Amino acid sequence: MKKHAKQLALLLAATMMIGCMAGCNGRKDPEVSDTPTPPAAQNTPEVKTEDEITLTFWYTYGDNEEAQLLNVALPLWEAEHPNIKIEVVRQDDSQYHQMIVTSFGTGMSPDVARVDITNVAAYASQGGLVALSDFDDFASISGDYLEGPLSTNMYQGKYYGLPLDTNCKAAVVNKNVLSDLGLNEVPATMEEFISAAEGRGTYSLNVSGVGDWDMYPYFWLFGGVLTNEDFTKATGYLDSDASVAAINKLKELHDKKIFTIRDVDGSVDAWDGINNEYAMFFEGPWYFGSYEDREAAGIVAATIPTYEGRSASVVGGEDIVVFSTSKHPKEAYEFAKFMTSVKVQLAMLESGQLPVLKSLVNDKAVLDNPVWSVYMKQLESAQARIPSPNNSQIQEIWSDTITNIFVNGADVKTELHNAAELIDEQLR
Amino acid sequence: MNKTVLLKRGAKQWLAALPFVLPGLILVTMFILYPMVFTLRIALSEYKIVQGEITFIGLQNFVNVLSGGSKFWYALRNNFLYALVTVPVITLGGMFFAYLINNLRHGQGIFRVGFYLPVITSWVIVSLVFQYMFNSSDRGLINYVLVDVLHLVDNYIPWLLREWTGNAAIWLMGIWKNMGWAMLIFLGGLQGIPHELYEAAELDGAGLWARFWNVTVPSLKPVTFYVIVNMIIGSFNVFIQVMMLTGGGPNGKTSTLQYLLYDKAFNQFQFGEASAIGLVSAVTIVAITALLNKRLQLDTDGEEAT
Repeated sequence: MKKHAKQLALLLAATMMIGCMAGCNGRKDPEVSDTPTPPAAQNTPEVKTEDEITLTFWYTYGDNEEAQLLNVALPLWEAEHPNIKIEVVRQDDSQYHQMIVTSFGTGMSPDVARVDITNVAAYASQGGLVALSDFDDFASISGDYLEGPLSTNMYQGKYYGLPLDTNCKAAVVNKNVLSDLGLNEVPATMEEFISAAEGRGTYSLNVSGVGDWDMYPYFWLFGGVLTNEDFTKATGYLDSDASVAAINKLKELHDKKIFTIRDVDGSVDAWDGINNEYAMFFEGPWYFGSYEDREAAGIVAATIPTYEGRSASVVGGEDIVVFSTSKHPKEAYEFAKFMTSVKVQLAMLESGQLPVLKSLVNDKAVLDNPVWSVYMKQLESAQARIPSPNNSQIQEIWSDTITNIFVNGADVKTELHNAAELIDEQLR
Repeated sequence: MNKTVLLKRGAKQWLAALPFVLPGLILVTMFILYPMVFTLRIALSEYKIVQGEITFIGLQNFVNVLSGGSKFWYALRNNFLYALVTVPVITLGGMFFAYLINNLRHGQGIFRVGFYLPVITSWVIVSLVFQYMFNSSDRGLINYVLVDVLHLVDNYIPWLLREWTGNAAIWLMGIWKNMGWAMLIFLGGLQGIPHELYEAAELDGAGLWARFWNVTVPSLKPVTFYVIVNMIIGSFNVFIQVMMLTGGGPNGKTSTLQYLLYDKAFNQFQFGEASAIGLVSAVTIVAITALLNKRLQLDTDGEEAT
């Protein structure tokens, strides 16, 4: 009995040792030929032929978008490529970036993924992505994409992804609250809106946070400038008189109780408050999941009213990228191209994913829709955020600056100047 | 007996024990020792996660962390503040409630379960409840009660969006969540105190307070030390509350070392600096524990060293 116990313990130890060693072996240099097989591929039954491969595709689509992908797009792909199976993995939106970073460390990245446009440069700078512009046909297809969304894939002269969908913020307006302010139509100018909202005593315009996605549209609308055109210098731009004036204008509106920042004032969230408290906030097209319901409640989409004759918004959206750990980069690139093809772009448009192809900008499906047409129009005045692998740091500098100004009452000019110097360091 | 015989017997004993020790030893090596050594290595290197390239750069990561602005110092300060505020409250509160429950004739079980329930409840769920309680405007319970029901305050308070109210919410959650654990440990300690001590004290004329101070408190000294050390270690592992309640805001003034570490590694790809932060907090914990050990002058007989 005693002997058996000892043998059992030894066996257990040996099994554990082998298990641990096997587990630790998974992490490999992507350039080495025996890179780990993606988990999906390991699960494929042995009966499959040599040519049959599986690509893992990560995304954070919502229910509607996922339904279009699974029911329309993927059957099309399978019909065209019966030997390339796509294993889809829907990830949680809030921790998606962290999931991808973790996958870099464990060597368990997917073959292909839909990622936020602001993260592509950072992933590329880590060596995590395949440069798609190295493929022979890239030059011939790149002209099909809208330039703004395509440019978000650029890092050090190469393109590390294809644009997949695009969006921006436009105005979400509650016409009932607007009529309380004495406006019967969505105002064309911000000046009109401000003079109507003045004296109301409660906030009419709401933004959620102090981050880039939330605040840039306001900053740009009131005349602020972030950097030079090449995104290489912030001093002289972010701390220019025009930028200081833009932030001061926001402060003035904040002091007059016209404009509120939820994360500064602790005011009601925009999605909640737009139902009866706020007259307007800026949001992406996903707010209008069901336009009929929104319209029935008096809430409509409109282009952001102009200030001093200029409208402004921020470009959002996702790119599709191929990971450098993929065993099948060619096929993954093929799938990325497929996802940006006209038929798939039109299918995904059904669920509100705005297309990235030049040929679809004036498509009837876009122009006839009361929401998509507004957003496609707004895209004309939407600007991209600073494309940089240090995007996360730049975001933090911006948020800290705005928090300091609005929460701690810091001096606008000094704060913007400090921020500009810090951003300069990140752009070097 | 000569030396070789002794050695042989020793080796034989080791060999006999080895199969039983080995599984645990392997697990500890793989999941505790190896990550620790690896963290130390990354802390002294530039780590490119995708390529797995680790380049030795000396103490540069530590220099970057210590000189990289106020965020690190705020985080470190908040860890210490968390310890300073929550450890005494949890320890005294745990001892107090354990003493009360121990003296109950009926219903001990109900109170024990009641106090211990927060401990086994998920941190994330508790965070969501606290988020709701401390929510801004009239959407939060506390604001609603203070402003709309009791009319004690005129304006809604953005609790989680300000430095001190945000920190207070984090502390409160830590206290509420951990007091039951301390209570249970103290209860165990109380039940281990021989009844004769109380009887002897009573014969000597000691009142309730004198009995508590002269019998209960000294008898609970090792347990108290155990609770304090555990809570201090816990104070340097505060993460979920910060992530769920304040996100470190405004501007990192409610952040802690663990949250900063997470932000450095997963948002900024600075794995070296993140490891350096991890080591700084590890060294701080060891130093504080050693200091406490010396101060309280306890024998390290296993329990205290846990």
